[in-house]
Amino acid sequence: MANLLWLQGGACSGNTMSFLNAEEPSACDLVTDFGINVLWHPSLGMELGDNLQQLLRKCISGEIKLDIFVFEGTVVNAPNGTGEWNRFAGRPMRDWVRELSDAADFVVAIGDCATWGGIPATAPNPSESQGLQFLKRGHGGYLGAEFKSKAGLPVINIPGCPAHPDWVTQILVAVATGRAGDLALDEFQRPKTFFQSFTQTGCTRNMHFAYKVSATEFGQRKGCLFYDLGCRGPMTHSPCNRILWNRVSSKTRAGMPCMGCTEPEFPFFDLAPGTVFKTQTVMGVPKELPEGVDKTGYIKLTGAAKAAAPAWAEQDIFVV
Amino acid sequence: MSKTDDDMLREKIAKILGNGLETQTEPFPEDHNQFDEVLRELRQLPSDDLEGKLVVSGFVDHPYGDEQQRCLECMYYLVHRRWCDLPELAVPVEPEWWCRLWRI
Repeated sequence: MANLLWLQGGACSGNTMSFLNAEEPSACDLVTDFGINVLWHPSLGMELGDNLQQLLRKCISGEIKLDIFVFEGTVVNAPNGTGEWNRFAGRPMRDWVRELSDAADFVVAIGDCATWGGIPATAPNPSESQGLQFLKRGHGGYLGAEFKSKAGLPVINIPGCPAHPDWVTQILVAVATGRAGDLALDEFQRPKTFFQSFTQTGCTRNMHFAYKVSATEFGQRKGCLFYDLGCRGPMTHSPCNRILWNRVSSKTRAGMPCMGCTEPEFPFFDLAPGTVFKTQTVMGVPKELPEGVDKTGYIKLTGAAKAAAPAWAEQDIFVV
Repeated sequence: MSKTDDDMLREKIAKILGNGLETQTEPFPEDHNQFDEVLRELRQLPSDDLEGKLVVSGFVDHPYGDEQQRCLECMYYLVHRRWCDLPELAVPVEPEWWCRLWRI
């Protein structure tokens, strides 16, 4: 039996909604099949007021063993570093987060806000938000770069806006069943099993990417969304086209550009006007190229791909 | 094989450009904001103002610039249809032409 505690900071509850919709395994499977005991969760917990405070204090003291501490949302530090804007169970949430993180065997950050600050931490960041161990790309965050939980791991980051439900439950199962040692993490502490490939991996528009045929409007069946509509699929680490959403689709399959929500910079360009759903270019060439591709190679490839493009690549084709 | 509407329109554009229509090849939009400015100008034109489209978008009937850019490499160009698929233009073109909305 592994005790799990889930708290929310500066959050929209999107990751809770995602978690509760998990299918493989489901949130119920965690309890019935994988021995996870949910001590408390904002949408599931029964304790209120003093009872909840007692539960949290017992977790901190060790009277109740805290195996997995899950945090969703940012750590809110406003105003002036006090955290008073986000009080919970009688004190600033950030104080609970610090002490519970120190007490837990494993700490798991769910969603962009908990991992690197996400939308709340976008400039000018009025809530002085931080992720648990990152602020955007900067290592450190609220707990500091050196933080390790009792089991010796840093915060396990499962980003996304929201994170896919199955990424959440599969990682929780791995941790709860003693397989945390098998989790290889990347430089941003994301499990490589999910975040080593790209959103583009498995995208049904890859043939349009290869032949440089662009989608020029949302929902078009033909064309790649990278060239004009700001799709970040080639630069974003996620399995969105390997582990499909609701088992059937993904943004790109539905004609919607990837927004890069598993990367620390999300939302990109601080949501400045003209930067969302529009590929940023310099002298007609995309400012950001697919990872590992240089400008010269990209230009050469474009010429060759266009010259080789078959007629069907320019026609409507089902990509869902 | 009979000429299609696209063929006839392409020939018409070629004739207009061949007759020396002065178009706004400069400034080339350096970034997305400047690109959007050109698109905004195009959207304000009457839908049947072909010459206006050619002028604002800076069409020429030959490769352009130091790198000899041309429609053929542009991402809006559909090779088989010989067509510019940018919604604000949507005109038949030749692969050796160019305009300042060129992007790859």
